[in-house]
This record gives sequence, C-alpha cells and structure tokens, in this order.
Amino acid sequence: MTTLLDTVGALHPAYTVAPRPFQVVSVETVAPEIVHVEFVPLDGGPLTAYEAGSHLIVEAGPNRNAYSLTGDGSAPTSYGISVLRHQTGGGSQWIHDHLVPGAVVTCEGPRSAFPARPEQTAALLVAGGVGITPILSHARSLARWGGTADIVYSYRPGSGAHLAELRDLAKTSGFSLTEATDVPQTQQVLADRFADQPIGAHAYACGPIAMIDTYLELGRSAGWPVERLHLERFEAPELDPGVEFDVTVAGTRLTVAPGVSVLQTLLDAGHEVPNLCRQGVCGECRIPVKSGVVEHRDFVLTDAEKKAGDSMMCCVSRGTDLEVDL
Amino acid sequence: MSALLPLADPLAPVDHAARLPWPFAEDQTSFRYTVNVQPARQYLATAAGGWGDTLVDLGGAEYPQIMADRRRILDADPGRARVMPWMVPACWDLLLFYLRDMAASFPTIMTLDEDGERFHWVNTALGTDQHFTLGDLASLPCDPLTFLGREVPDDLLLIREREGEMHLDAGLVTFAAGWSVTFDAGMSIREIHGPVPRLNTEGVTTRGEQFLMMLKSDQAFRRANWTLSASGSRKLDVSLEELPEWGRDIPELIRDRDWGRLQLRIEVEHFVRLPMTGAVTFNIRTHLCSLADIKKVAPWREQLAAIVLELPDDIATYKGFIDYREDAMAWLLDTDSQEGR
Repeated sequence: MTTLLDTVGALHPAYTVAPRPFQVVSVETVAPEIVHVEFVPLDGGPLTAYEAGSHLIVEAGPNRNAYSLTGDGSAPTSYGISVLRHQTGGGSQWIHDHLVPGAVVTCEGPRSAFPARPEQTAALLVAGGVGITPILSHARSLARWGGTADIVYSYRPGSGAHLAELRDLAKTSGFSLTEATDVPQTQQVLADRFADQPIGAHAYACGPIAMIDTYLELGRSAGWPVERLHLERFEAPELDPGVEFDVTVAGTRLTVAPGVSVLQTLLDAGHEVPNLCRQGVCGECRIPVKSGVVEHRDFVLTDAEKKAGDSMMCCVSRGTDLEVDL
Repeated sequence: MSALLPLADPLAPVDHAARLPWPFAEDQTSFRYTVNVQPARQYLATAAGGWGDTLVDLGGAEYPQIMADRRRILDADPGRARVMPWMVPACWDLLLFYLRDMAASFPTIMTLDEDGERFHWVNTALGTDQHFTLGDLASLPCDPLTFLGREVPDDLLLIREREGEMHLDAGLVTFAAGWSVTFDAGMSIREIHGPVPRLNTEGVTTRGEQFLMMLKSDQAFRRANWTLSASGSRKLDVSLEELPEWGRDIPELIRDRDWGRLQLRIEVEHFVRLPMTGAVTFNIRTHLCSLADIKKVAPWREQLAAIVLELPDDIATYKGFIDYREDAMAWLLDTDSQEGR
C-alpha cells in the first residue's frame, strides 16, 4: 500500500533530499587542516542532482553542519565536500576525527542557497580559503554547460585546496584564473577584475569575513549594483550581546537575556524552531513576527523584508517587545 | 522505492466524465481565484468517478490522438516552444523528471533505462525508442523541451526567479486557453496575469508566487483551474495563435442555442521544483467535458450552474461567458430538455 509520503514526492529516488545514510568512499587531505570527503548513498541508489553552490547537511556527531558541495551537480555519482578543521570541538573536528572510508553518516539535502543566476552573460567567481568549495562547484557547472568564468582564488601559500583541479579546469575551459596569496594582492586583483567584466556579468564570493567585506566594498566602488554581488558566508562577524528584552509566544512572555538569542530562549522554553547555522546566514530559523520592533542582525532578509518587520532570524536578531508566531 | 498500484490500463477507452478532474470541492457554491494548491498524485473521488493518482494523465485511449494533435501543431508552428537561452539545462532537468515519472507510473507501456548520464526511453504507445545523453543536444532529434512535449499531453512551462520575481523563461504550449506563449515567454508571472481580474490586486498572484518560490524539490503540488472553453468542440488548441480557427465557434453556438456542446475546460497545473537547476514547473494539462455529459451527473450540473451564475460580472466577463451564462445554465438545470436545444 502506498503512503501519502510516497505519492507527494517524486516516484524516483533521485529526487529525495530527506536525511538518509551515506557511506564515505574517500577522505583526502587537500590542504593543511582541510580534508575532502566523498560520499555515496548507503543503499547504492542514484543521487539527487543539485544546483551549483548547493550544500549538504551532515550529521557530524552531535552537530548538524552544512558543507558546500564541490561538484557541478548535474548528474552526480558522489557528493564531495571539503572541511576545514575548526578548533572549537564542533562538527568539523568530528569529521576530521571520525570519517574514514566505509564510515556511515546521515546527510540531508542537497539544498540550494547560493545559486547561479542563469541569465548572466559571465561570472566573476571569488574564493578565499576554504570558500573555494562552492566556487569550484560554480566553475565546474559553468564549464559543463558552456558558460564563461573569471576566477579569483585567494589563499595562504601552501593552503590552496583544490588548486590543481582549478588550474586544470581553467585551462580546459578557457576560464581566466588569478591567484593571490596575500591581502594587498587580493585587493589589487579584485579591483582589477571588477573593472573588467562584460555587461550582464554577476559576481559570486565565498570566503572569510574580511575578504567578503573587501569584495563588497570594491564591487560597490566599481559601480556594481548590489544585486549582482552574490555571496555565501560560512561565518558571520561576532555580535554584541545586546540588552534584555521580552518575547511573547502563544500568550506566554519570555525574557531574552543579554548574550542569549531568541532562538535559544524559545528552544529552552520547549518550542521547536528549525535552525542550522546559528549565525544569521542560512535562513533556517526564520519566524513570523506579529508585533514589536525587530533589530535585524542577520544576512538573509532583504532590506524590504527587514523594513516590513514581520519576520526575523531568531538566532541572531533581537528587538523590543516582540510577539512571535511559531 | 515502493510502486504505485498499477492502473488498470493506461490506454483504456475514455469516458470523459469518469476521470474528469472536477475542479470544485464537494461543498463549494462559489468560485473566486485562490492559491488552491494541494499535494499531487492523490486520488480524488468525484461524483462520476475519480482522478489524480498520477502526475501525468495520458488520457487513456485518446493519448495517441492528443499527441498527434500536439505534434501536428508543433510541426506547423515550432515557435510554440520558447526557450530563453539560459534555460537549456532546465529543459534537460524537466525532461528527466517527467520521463522518470512516466516510466514509474506507466511501466506497462513506458520504460527509462539509466546509466550515469546516458538514458534509454521507450514509449510503446507512441513508438518512441530513443537513446540520449544528458546535456548532449546532438543525441536527441530536437531540443529536450520539444522532445518531452512530443511525449506528454501537458503544456510545459518553466518558471525561474529573476530579479526577485518568477518569470516564464521556457514554455511549450499548444493548448493555451485564449493566451499566447509566444507573447508571454520571458514575462514575469505578474505581467502575465495582469489581464485576469482581481488576481494581482487581491494578492493572489503574490501568494502564488511566494508558494512557488519556496517550493522544495522533493514535493509535487497541483491546482485545478476552470472555464468554459472558447470552442464548442473538443478542440484543445484555442490559443491566440489559432484564433481564426475558433473565433467564430461560440457566437455560432449561441446563435444555434446548442448549449450541450459547451465544454467545461479544466486545467490541472503541476508544480515541481527541479533539483538540477532550481526551475519550477507550471505544467498545464487540459481536460474537456461537454455540458451534455455534465448534465447527466446531478451533483455536477447543480454545482456548476450555481458557481457560474454566482460569479461576479468581471470574472464572468474574463471567462468569456457573461453574455450567455444564464441561458446555458438554465439549459443545464432543465432536466426535461433534450440535449442541445
């Protein structure tokens, strides 16, 4: 007998994005503190295709983390991610310590949060450090479908993950690739490349906070509209703890202490709120706001959405006398 | 992956009422435009039978004839397929989704073998036997959207987010109801729906657009829309391109008071987020049932008459029947009258 779940989704396994078991087929160190892991479904079935720039959510021990997929996504035979080890005892450390060929791990997705604009005439792709992962995906997709890319890769000498593949890709696809190994060089290259793109080009960047800030600054001063400066943040700047305020949900008033998020306050009170990055960059914890003034501190909502004030990213944003709807 | 219960015979002879996707809820007495989406692939019982267990409704024994009609129109006017230059990958995405779905839904007549990026599609109902490679245009006899359009009875529409709005960026449409795909291709859905009364102003388009923008790739949804066809026959192509062929149909029908020939025209739209490109489908499958056949089903004739008569004038005008709805519905409800007069 068929269930509703069987009939609402696709009939073919290459469309599922639900959490499911994957098996590690390879783990390779691609730079100091960066490993590249390839997964295939444990049941040997086909893989769901994905848009360039997509990420996979990996249950890395006690943490659930999102990692960019490095392939072009059109007909994947495995999912590949590259993980930088952070010394914070979190998911990346678990991955480095536990994933070996044969290991089984639950993954969800892929999910697309950093897609290419298909109508672009060209793409300026900017990667900093491990931010190369979604950028590599974009470059591969453009190569596969016959697009044009101008790639900038900024990395610390000796720490350029996927450098060889990128150089090969650039050569065989006729893409331009400029490498930079320090900050002044990166700034010079970016300024240079922003000034030299055809009409209709879009730009995409992923990397450390400082590089993203530079990218935005240089892009704007080169006259690029902000709608063409796409970016994906792996991390967000640290926020000040803020002041105590109230949030009401389902008639109950809760107090949000300084340094504690609305998200954590809601979770502690027993409410279920979807969440993922807890940094205000992924959009998972968006909740409707019925009243009150929101102090938006996220990187997801558009200016119009922030002005409307009827939703908020509760993992980072704060406010005054908020009433929310779960 | 579990299999659906197989249909009795996907090419069985057709009773137009039995599998008609009746567009109104059981207790519905009036109609306004809403974002009335529901999960796809759910069997719904109706007063005359039932429908909806598959994403694609081939049309039973009429499938080859519908496809012959589709192919004839495309051969004569290939411009009914419009693909914005950046939409080629999305057309491949659509092709794979639908071929996989049909092979799973109709295994007695359709198969799709997959080997990495190579595919082998066999459709014994139409005699198609095609090997092709994903992304390789030379491996198909025509572009992927046209290839698919020549296999499925649905009009195929792909929408994408551009500049914050959903746009119709690719479409293969041979059975448009009083609109033109050549005119609409590339427009935003807001622009396309401008002529429909209340849709934009009452926020229906906005809510519909938000639904589509947030659609996830592992869920398929559908919606039913309806009107009285601009032709008093089972002619599916009542597009603006074809206007000279059908433009006089209804005036002649009205002159002859041949109300039984009026066709309730139902469009079932399917919404699927395609994973490889993020494009969203807005495919339209058109079904026709004459008022004569509807008259035979008591709950249907009563409900349709009530709904048509209750419609505000602006919507009835847009749907094209403001001038004759009273007479036509009077005929529908008059169970003493013979078919036609």
